[in-house]
Amino acid sequence: MNYSTSQFKNGMKLMLDGNPCSIVNNEIVKPGKGQAFNRVKFKDLITGKTLEKTFKSGESLEAADVMELEMQYLYSDGEKWHFMEPGSFEQFDLGEESMGTALNYLVEQDNCVVTLWNNNPISVSPPNHVTLEVIDTDPGLKGDTAGTGGKPATLNTGVVVQVPLFVAIGDRVKVDTRTNEYTGRA
Amino acid sequence: MPNFKEKLIRYQYLIRNIRDFFYSHNVVEVVTPSLLVAPTTDVYIDSIEVSVNHALSKSTKFYLHTSPELEMKRLLSKGSGDIFQICQVFRDNEHGHINSNEFTMLEFYRVGFDMHQLIDDIKALLISLGNDDPVKEISYAEAFYEYAEIDILNSDFEGLKNILESHGLNSDYEWIEDIQMVLFVHLIEPKLKTIPVCFIYDFPKQQAALAQIDGLVAHRFEMYIKGTEIANGYQEIQTSKEYRDRFETELGKRKSLSKSIGSLDDDFLDDLKVGLPSCSGVAIGIDRLFTSLSL
Repeated sequence: MNYSTSQFKNGMKLMLDGNPCSIVNNEIVKPGKGQAFNRVKFKDLITGKTLEKTFKSGESLEAADVMELEMQYLYSDGEKWHFMEPGSFEQFDLGEESMGTALNYLVEQDNCVVTLWNNNPISVSPPNHVTLEVIDTDPGLKGDTAGTGGKPATLNTGVVVQVPLFVAIGDRVKVDTRTNEYTGRA
Repeated sequence: MPNFKEKLIRYQYLIRNIRDFFYSHNVVEVVTPSLLVAPTTDVYIDSIEVSVNHALSKSTKFYLHTSPELEMKRLLSKGSGDIFQICQVFRDNEHGHINSNEFTMLEFYRVGFDMHQLIDDIKALLISLGNDDPVKEISYAEAFYEYAEIDILNSDFEGLKNILESHGLNSDYEWIEDIQMVLFVHLIEPKLKTIPVCFIYDFPKQQAALAQIDGLVAHRFEMYIKGTEIANGYQEIQTSKEYRDRFETELGKRKSLSKSIGSLDDDFLDDLKVGLPSCSGVAIGIDRLFTSLSL
């Protein structure tokens, strides 16, 4: 199945240079004296890189068979990370290179979105907010409850997040996975 | 809705300030017909056809003007001197967030001006409209050197095709000017988005349109505001024969793309036999100017 430039819209998944890509932005440019073009910004779903291409209007690209499925993270055996689609109980696994930043936030039993291309998993998106446990941080200063300062804390996934001084080992904290920022105590 | 009314009034001020600028420079305001006997010959611009007087059994076909250029040049050839016009123009097959089938155009001609004098005139117009943003002026070739390290004037068809391929772009284009344009859209235009006002001048001769050719370049320019094309101007060719040649070249290209072809406007070519005075002219998209300058 092919899509022509007139059908392009944000979020559409298309094949580009052999990789599945998602349209981030589609701009029609018609020079006064020239033919119409589409200047399109894509995100490569495998490498995560953004790229810009210009097509003459009317060109078409092959659709990418991409699905985003809600899955449960089961466990890691150190080499592969295993997930299960709860509807079908079908299991999928990804290598570290495809895990991206999801590595920093997923704990067993968490739900997340796994992207499949031709039924093979290519990437994982953690939920926007996760709750993790503090396993290491310096003791806080007595009386500091306003959280004006900050200190690094290591969470149970290994990720390090800046937290307010009052946060202690054993606390459960909420983290925004898009910015790696502490958003509150759980 | 105070914002709506306020916007209408701001637009009114823009039109009024444009008129004041030209009146104070003794440029005469003219009105020319919108219904023309011949469609535009431009390869990538399509005229809208209209049929009138059917009920009178005198069916006649006209074409809505895509710009008032030729009709204004008839006035220039008759001795009008400096003229300007603000009018609606119509184009088929235009669609997008900054393209539509009808828009408002300011077109003006200054007799005895070369391309750079006309650019200076537009800069003075912008200042009189209250815009004092810095202005960049750069030739088409310099822009390609500066932003893409490409020697655009001395690269042949195959060379430019290779450059397209190296950027992973389709290189299936008919003419070298098409490749120049896609490279401009892909590599240069995005860089212009950070520049308040930018004049690009001396286009490759293959993109001369109706501008005078001088060696590898044509004295044609465009004005970009924050990366959006707002104006297109020429140091004008002057003889009827040059106009006929340029029109025929464009019609030939339309033919090879299987696009609709109209007859040449013979009345225009006849009128031009006395020659156009030495002059430069420009078309400015008023709707885009209004939006991009936030006037």
